[in-house]
Amino acid sequence: MLKLFYRRLALAICLVGVASALTFALIASAPGNAANFLAERAAGPKATHELVQKIEHDLGLNDPLYIRFFHWVGNVADGRLGESLRTGHPITEEFAQRLPTTIRLLLGGGVVACFMPLLIGVAGALSDGGVLDRSLRVLAIVGASAPNFFVGALLVLLFSVRLHWLPAFGTSGLLSWVMPWVTVGLFPTCVLSRVVRVTLQELMSRPFATTGFAKGYGRTGVLVYEALPNLAVPFLTTFGAQFALMIIGAIVVESVFAWQGIGAFFIDSIRFRDFPAMQAILMTFVVFFVFVNLLVDMVCMLIDPRIRRSQFESA
Amino acid sequence: MKTVMHTRLRKASVACLPLLLFFQSVTAVEAKDTNTLHVALAQEAGSLDLLQNESALSSYGLVFDGLVHYGKGGKLEPDLAETWDVSSDGKTITFQLRKDVRFSDGTPFDAKVAQWNLARWIGKTDFSWIGVSENFERMEVTGPYTLKLFLKAPAPVALAELSIVRPVRFISPKAVDAKGQQIAPVGTGPWKVVQNDKSETVLVRNDYYWGPKPSFSRIELSVVPDELSRVNALRAGDLDVIGGEWVAPLLPNRAKALATDPGVGVFAAPGVSTVLLGYNNARGPLADANVRRAISLGLDRASIAKILYQGYADPASNLFPSTIPDAGRREPVAVRDVTAANKLLDQSGWIKTGTVRRKDGKDLILNLLASDQVLPGARRLSELILGQLADLGITVNVSSLDDATYHDRRQKFDYDLAFFSTYAAPYDPQGSLSTMFVSTADSGPDGKIFVSKELDGVINSALSATGEDRKAKVQNVYDWMNQNAAICPLVYPQRLWAYNKRVKGFALPPTEYDMPVSNLSLNP
Repeated sequence: MLKLFYRRLALAICLVGVASALTFALIASAPGNAANFLAERAAGPKATHELVQKIEHDLGLNDPLYIRFFHWVGNVADGRLGESLRTGHPITEEFAQRLPTTIRLLLGGGVVACFMPLLIGVAGALSDGGVLDRSLRVLAIVGASAPNFFVGALLVLLFSVRLHWLPAFGTSGLLSWVMPWVTVGLFPTCVLSRVVRVTLQELMSRPFATTGFAKGYGRTGVLVYEALPNLAVPFLTTFGAQFALMIIGAIVVESVFAWQGIGAFFIDSIRFRDFPAMQAILMTFVVFFVFVNLLVDMVCMLIDPRIRRSQFESA
Repeated sequence: MKTVMHTRLRKASVACLPLLLFFQSVTAVEAKDTNTLHVALAQEAGSLDLLQNESALSSYGLVFDGLVHYGKGGKLEPDLAETWDVSSDGKTITFQLRKDVRFSDGTPFDAKVAQWNLARWIGKTDFSWIGVSENFERMEVTGPYTLKLFLKAPAPVALAELSIVRPVRFISPKAVDAKGQQIAPVGTGPWKVVQNDKSETVLVRNDYYWGPKPSFSRIELSVVPDELSRVNALRAGDLDVIGGEWVAPLLPNRAKALATDPGVGVFAAPGVSTVLLGYNNARGPLADANVRRAISLGLDRASIAKILYQGYADPASNLFPSTIPDAGRREPVAVRDVTAANKLLDQSGWIKTGTVRRKDGKDLILNLLASDQVLPGARRLSELILGQLADLGITVNVSSLDDATYHDRRQKFDYDLAFFSTYAAPYDPQGSLSTMFVSTADSGPDGKIFVSKELDGVINSALSATGEDRKAKVQNVYDWMNQNAAICPLVYPQRLWAYNKRVKGFALPPTEYDMPVSNLSLNP
């Protein structure tokens, strides 16, 4: 098992390496010159061409792309992500201030996206073709089609402007976290609820379900005792992918609810061509995506002996 | 049975207790402080460093004072200087400073502290864009509260320059480290910063403040970057004040909608800046004054003001609105005249064939830069201009860009037409004239509205003039621009703010760089 873990970990590290090279090349080819920006900040309107050249030399911007990439990798390995061109502060400092906000958003959204689909999916399966099942299906499709900023604005209109139950923005307490969590968790909830519903339907036609009925269980009993345990792997696999994608949703949700997290930092860094910050944030997204999927794979192997066995055989 | 029930109830009560305590604490967090004003910021206030070009301009005025203050109509009013005297040759300015002033950390303010403050920036290369800094010779403390400023040459707007946001305001010497770096924003203003992070800046009343004390004790400046979120937060009662071009912009359509909300007041005041089309007159069709004149005649400014700005703008005819000092004689607003515009284009040899005009085998196609991030509503405005100029046979290609690309392309003159805004009070008229028109001035990413060697001379002559002569020479600049169709003013956007009805006495300061909090009171 440990051997398998190491193999997967090595694969994940390779994936991060390739992705970092790609994002580095992408950002390096973007229009705009960081040296111009720094020179203007240092000397204002009197920035000279010589100063720009000196900054380019100091930053190694004239070196070939691969040399710059390896320098950057070396710095990252030392825990240095560079300085933000916009603020002049180390990016690690910005991350330290902003990461807790984004982690809080993702964890809350993750809880919503973990438990709500189970409730909705099981309720739909119990209703099986009834009004509740059909209504939930329509709601799931509508919810999955609604963009985050629209959902967020609607929630604010209802719960803040009309009912005055929840604060419209900020991170002042639990009540202010509810709407961002629901907004960021809505899309995965809707997708996962359909996965749960469809998988349960499929599981209910399997032989072990028939055996369950033969044992004397009703539909609810078969669902809970026979079908649900077999739902774990497809649910976790989809949940992992959706949870990883939630970091993209966080960019919009943080803006709507004025949370100063990594998503808001990403928008600012794009707007001000803050290349080192953009690179660092994109890498964070890549690492998050890859390692969430690694974690899900490992958990699936732990809970399902069939996957473990197939992995050992292929190894 | 009864015992079992009691046991269950007791267990349930014990289980619910932490839950109840938790919700009670959450509710406590949400309780509103009626002595606190909640103001929106579109971007974080930043460190409020007086020498760095990084922090938002709008929050400095709450904490820092200058020697003079920009008053209504550009009239300079006493701030930390009670009186001032300019010598007849314009090269010496003597300031008599207030005697009862302390910084919010208790440090007294006197002429030596003022001199130390000014020496941090005046005469330094980084600040040569300020006339008083470029012409600085020396300073002299001639009394505990008397400071003399000697200039190499007269700086006609030296005093007005001392009323800008930064670096001219005063900081406590204890708030600067041995290397000269500002370590905290400690000023003599009515408020002092007690918390400053990415989400909010919290200020409390400065007990040492020399002026009238604010009627409430605390201001929370909350960073809400999204405009719709700000509007919703105001309607929900989570914010008290939103708006202001440099604070937290409010769009005209949203202001219109808010005007019908009984719990919200909308405040619109005549604008202090101008939105205009800038021409790249160095090449292409716009090198021809007739084409520029035709474009100006082909635009319907009244409909732009009424439709796009929902009436929260006034059609423009001058480079500066009348709220700016030395804004010049008021010109009549050009009425859209398609026939006259067509005639001008015909005279220039641009002949209409079908729906387009051609000359020397080339179609009359203009590239217009627009960025909603730079000028909110620019994309819709460009669509309207596209439609109106199509009637003249001019094809407009709109490039809708992000903030950085827009500034890059504007700086490189990579356009035919682009939107510009004047700097507004307290920087104008000298700020926009010297930076955005003089070809030798480095305007950086702000670009140039119009460039001509002849215009350089007219502007330089006006900006170096003093006294009554100055007014006439500044008028010469405007006349030159009109005769040469150098500018195409569109509208003067009004200053838009909205406030919760619990806020009483809402009024705007003379510039958009100051926050409207000084005369406010809060109802419970």
